[in-house]
Amino acid sequence: MTSGKSVLLVEDNELNRDMMVRRLQRAGLQVIAAGNGQQALDIMHAQQPSIVLMDMNLPILDGWAASRRAKEDVLIRHIPIIALTAHATEAYRQYAFAAGCDDYATKPVDFPGLLIKIKKLTRA
Amino acid sequence: MSLRRQLTLSLVTILVLFAVNVGTHLWGSYARNESMIAYRKSVSAAQLSTEIEQLLNDQRQQVLILATLRDTTEDQLEAAELQQAEDAIFTITGKIQELEKLSDGITELNYERLWESSSHLLKRWLNFYRSYNNSTFDMDMNDPLLFLNASQNLKELEQQQAFLAGQRAEIIDYNISLTDRITIIAFFASIFLTASLGYYLVSYTNKSLKRLKKGTVQFGSGNLNYRIDDIDDTGELGDLADAFNEMSGKLRDAINDARKAKDDANEANEAKSIFLANVSHELRTPLNAIIGYSEMLHDELGDKKELDRPQFQQDLDIIINSGRQLLTLIDDILDLSKIETGKMSLHREMFNPTEILKQACEVLAPLLRSNNNVLQLGGLLDLPALNNDAAKFRQIFTNLLSNANKFTKDGYISVNARELPERPGWVEFAVRDTGIGMTSEQLSRVFDAFVQADSSISANYGGTGLGLAICRDFSALMGGSIAVESAVGVGSTFTVLLPFDPTLALADA
Repeated sequence: MTSGKSVLLVEDNELNRDMMVRRLQRAGLQVIAAGNGQQALDIMHAQQPSIVLMDMNLPILDGWAASRRAKEDVLIRHIPIIALTAHATEAYRQYAFAAGCDDYATKPVDFPGLLIKIKKLTRA
Repeated sequence: MSLRRQLTLSLVTILVLFAVNVGTHLWGSYARNESMIAYRKSVSAAQLSTEIEQLLNDQRQQVLILATLRDTTEDQLEAAELQQAEDAIFTITGKIQELEKLSDGITELNYERLWESSSHLLKRWLNFYRSYNNSTFDMDMNDPLLFLNASQNLKELEQQQAFLAGQRAEIIDYNISLTDRITIIAFFASIFLTASLGYYLVSYTNKSLKRLKKGTVQFGSGNLNYRIDDIDDTGELGDLADAFNEMSGKLRDAINDARKAKDDANEANEAKSIFLANVSHELRTPLNAIIGYSEMLHDELGDKKELDRPQFQQDLDIIINSGRQLLTLIDDILDLSKIETGKMSLHREMFNPTEILKQACEVLAPLLRSNNNVLQLGGLLDLPALNNDAAKFRQIFTNLLSNANKFTKDGYISVNARELPERPGWVEFAVRDTGIGMTSEQLSRVFDAFVQADSSISANYGGTGLGLAICRDFSALMGGSIAVESAVGVGSTFTVLLPFDPTLALADA
């Protein structure tokens, strides 16, 4: 159902990255992985993924800053970003939207729910 | 000067003026009275002198007539006539003696002269009457010398008395005008003083009350730093101003205390919220792996293709490790919460620190091998037994050693201990590694709960960010302290200083 779409997964924790990559691939998505915000921006420019799943606590350039820069950049601002974080409070939800994220999901991830969000944002 | 003293002084002055008035009046009355008596005496004396003069004149006329009659007609006096004449002489003598009572001081001399001359005259006249009927009567009564002499003296006395009367009248006038002047001056002075005292009191009180009012308005509007300091009175109003100032000072302190208590409460509340948010975040991280891997494995079991057993086992290990990590995290959170609410108790017992350090190293051995680190122990043989909390001691060094191993690869970790010669009963433990080290900014926050050098640390190295906070709090509970030195790329050294007995720290403090 979501085949042909490419997902950029930005996650610095190896275990979680490995797990998410495998699950997204099982769901039929093409997955590109990045370990920090700067790498994510580079990949967004080079490969133009259909959507980005962005962890927020990242080394080098964190998820909020990376999202803000992506949304200020005309070349990549059209790529939807879903914030993915273990910060579950309302305040962090607001931070994510303030940084320009298009949607927000908390860890532990509700995987079916996440797939619905991806579908919604990549349909257009 | 205090208001009370000013009032007292003014009232005393008014009373003194009043007393001056009364005194002047009394003295004036007395003086007038005295002068009046003297004046009346003088006037009476003058009247009496006139009367005596008249009597003397009459008597001379009678003597002269009788003498002429005797010479010409051999006239004889009857007994009654003689008696009447003698009585007249004695009356004159009595009157002259009366005059003596009215003469004093400067008129006494005049009186004596009069008395002398009149005595001669009257005696002669008495002789004249008594020898009138004698056949051998031979007296020349025409000689006026004695009479004139007495008359002259009488006149002089009379003049003197009149002069005195005039003088005394003058004194009376003078006394009256003087006492009037003094009374009027004192009266106006006391009226003026009373009026100005009243005016001063009203304006002074008004001014002071206005300043007090201004102060209370300032205090009321919240300016508690305002001071009523322009009341130049050391008495009641000054005391009142001081009391107001003290009240505002206490109010300010109370408000500051309340504000501080509120700030502290807010801060504590804020800290609690942050703590809860952090706990939630930390619990979700291992739970993400547990749930994610479990769901994935569940899905893979449903696949038609053959199961990759080694991969499956590796994924299960991840779930198990994450579960254990979650358990450690929960234990750490409970410990920290116990410490922060003051419920963490200290179980003192005699233990051998060397033994516990060795056990901790043994438990760590597999992890050391996986990071290819070499452990060195030093100075542990000569350590004394400690009378402190053995379980907390074990946890401090388990945490420090596991941290050292976590951030060091292919390096060295050393544990050294020594007794402090300068502080008997104190032992210093140092855990040194040759790992990644920390910047000074990271060092400053390294003992704060949920803080790791940066967010990637927990991702790449694991851990809850609670281990060092617990080490710090446990060291303090045991009466000691913990410190750290570090350099990026060189490694870190954590130094724990512990007393033989926690009470030693109290004694040292």
